[in-house]
Amino acid sequence: MPRPGITSSPLFWQLASFALFFGAWEIAGRWPVSAAFPPFSATLLALLEMIGDGSLGKAYVSTLQPLLIGIAICGVAGIGFGIGMGLSRTVEWFTLPVFIILQAAPMAAIIPLITYLYGIGLTSKVLAVIFLAAPVVVMNSYKGIRNANPSLIQMCRSFQGSRRQEILKIILPHAAALIFTGLRLGLAMGFIGVVIAELLITPTGIGDLITYHSSVADYPQMFAAISSIILIAAVSLHALERVERRLFPAEIRGS
Amino acid sequence: MSYLRFPLTAFAMVALLAGVPAADSHAQARTKIKYALGDVISIDELPLLVAAERAKKRGVDVEITSFKSEEVATQAVINGQADVGQGTPYAAVQKVNVPIRFFYQMSALQFFPIVNKDSYKSWKDLNGQEIVVHARGSGTEAIMRLMAKEHGIEYKNVSFVPGSDVRALGLIKGTIKASILDATNKNYVMKEAPGKFIVLPLGKVKASDEALFATRAFLDKNQAAVAVLVEELLRVTREINANPKSILEERKKLGLLKELPAKLEAEILPYFEEGVKNGIFPADGGAANAAQNDLDFFKLSGSIKGDNLKTDDFWYMAPLKAALGKVK
Repeated sequence: MPRPGITSSPLFWQLASFALFFGAWEIAGRWPVSAAFPPFSATLLALLEMIGDGSLGKAYVSTLQPLLIGIAICGVAGIGFGIGMGLSRTVEWFTLPVFIILQAAPMAAIIPLITYLYGIGLTSKVLAVIFLAAPVVVMNSYKGIRNANPSLIQMCRSFQGSRRQEILKIILPHAAALIFTGLRLGLAMGFIGVVIAELLITPTGIGDLITYHSSVADYPQMFAAISSIILIAAVSLHALERVERRLFPAEIRGS
Repeated sequence: MSYLRFPLTAFAMVALLAGVPAADSHAQARTKIKYALGDVISIDELPLLVAAERAKKRGVDVEITSFKSEEVATQAVINGQADVGQGTPYAAVQKVNVPIRFFYQMSALQFFPIVNKDSYKSWKDLNGQEIVVHARGSGTEAIMRLMAKEHGIEYKNVSFVPGSDVRALGLIKGTIKASILDATNKNYVMKEAPGKFIVLPLGKVKASDEALFATRAFLDKNQAAVAVLVEELLRVTREINANPKSILEERKKLGLLKELPAKLEAEILPYFEEGVKNGIFPADGGAANAAQNDLDFFKLSGSIKGDNLKTDDFWYMAPLKAALGKVK
């Protein structure tokens, strides 16, 4: 009986696809498709150099600040609003349209407006994160509450459960998975928000590295900075997704 | 098989990231110059607009496209989507291995260090203080650092706020105490808050603000068209130097920037009068001085690096020399 080949391992295919992607990048950079498109090897070297001289670390300290503050505010206020909207028709009537509009609005066009109102400091950047992340967090919490299993709610009521028990024992546990998903997707939007803010408002952190290296034509460094934020966003979101799978069984996650 | 899907996506992503090289980069009629401007077209572009109109009459269509920033305009030239770019991308010229050369200086840097009178009165007062400039590695930062060196002072912190208009607002609102502005915004600030600010004296800072650049290949292949553009630019510049009001007449005659708001319209003459007074519009397209001054200045700003920098590696003088020979 033939041994199961190496090709049957998922890890092999994962590594192969990475090799293929970076290989294609290397070829595209060496060909070159554009004089400003660096090969993968040059970008990797630039990334290591930027990690080594501390400039990348310093940039992330400043980029993560508005991101974390924004996500924390969304985590508390956003989930609160979502739950409120799910439980009360009045709150829903007042706030749902705001979040639907926010969700549909092209943020890159709104960010310059924020600077007119709040200037160019940290507040504006935090607001950019909130504007992008809040609609996702709120809408998911809202839908989580609204989608609570009606038969379970009926059951609670027929056993003379109070409204408080209905919310704490049936609705909230049931909505928790969607609320968590909302937070994860909110973080993804937050990454977009913080980078847009750093590129459009004032160049700080990773936005400064991208603009500066682009302005002095250090293209490998510029691509390294861009790749690093993509990598960090992808890894943190993947990690959160794994946590989510652990915490909530598939039947609650609805998948 | 699902694992196989990723490699295909990977290829698609690389193709997207790389962009399709411009196939039509040099296929157009040779009497057309695709001109990439890294700014919105405003009053300071009037000489260019006049020159473009006159070049059109001589059979050279200068098609001006306004890009969001100088970097994007530079990329357009590097990748062949534009023929001539405007700006001072010295770093890109040094680092990118496509031979790009400057060939004409349109204007020299004209910036005004401006401080809140209540806080500071001279350069010495800025010692240990915070200043705000356009961006890291920008001309405004280089000027401020050069001045610090000249006056033996050191700033506590240099912050970056892109856009003279944004910094002007910051000064008026009081969030910024010391910065550096272009002529239009300096005049705006002085008018909005009379007596609140002072302009600090600037030593001899001579470097290009706007210069024209193109690939060597384009300059060699399109000598006739480039000659027309350079000659017309020289003529307009000399007319403005002789009489700044001439630009107003030309604008009216050629119907340029018709939609300009009245507020900006009133700024045209002061802008050109001040520029002429400060000698920022070179009557000789910069000639050899511009190249050497630029190398000194942009080396100081950190844009270009290395010793023994040669002007020939950045500038190609032939088109300008030819034009200077024709325009007396």
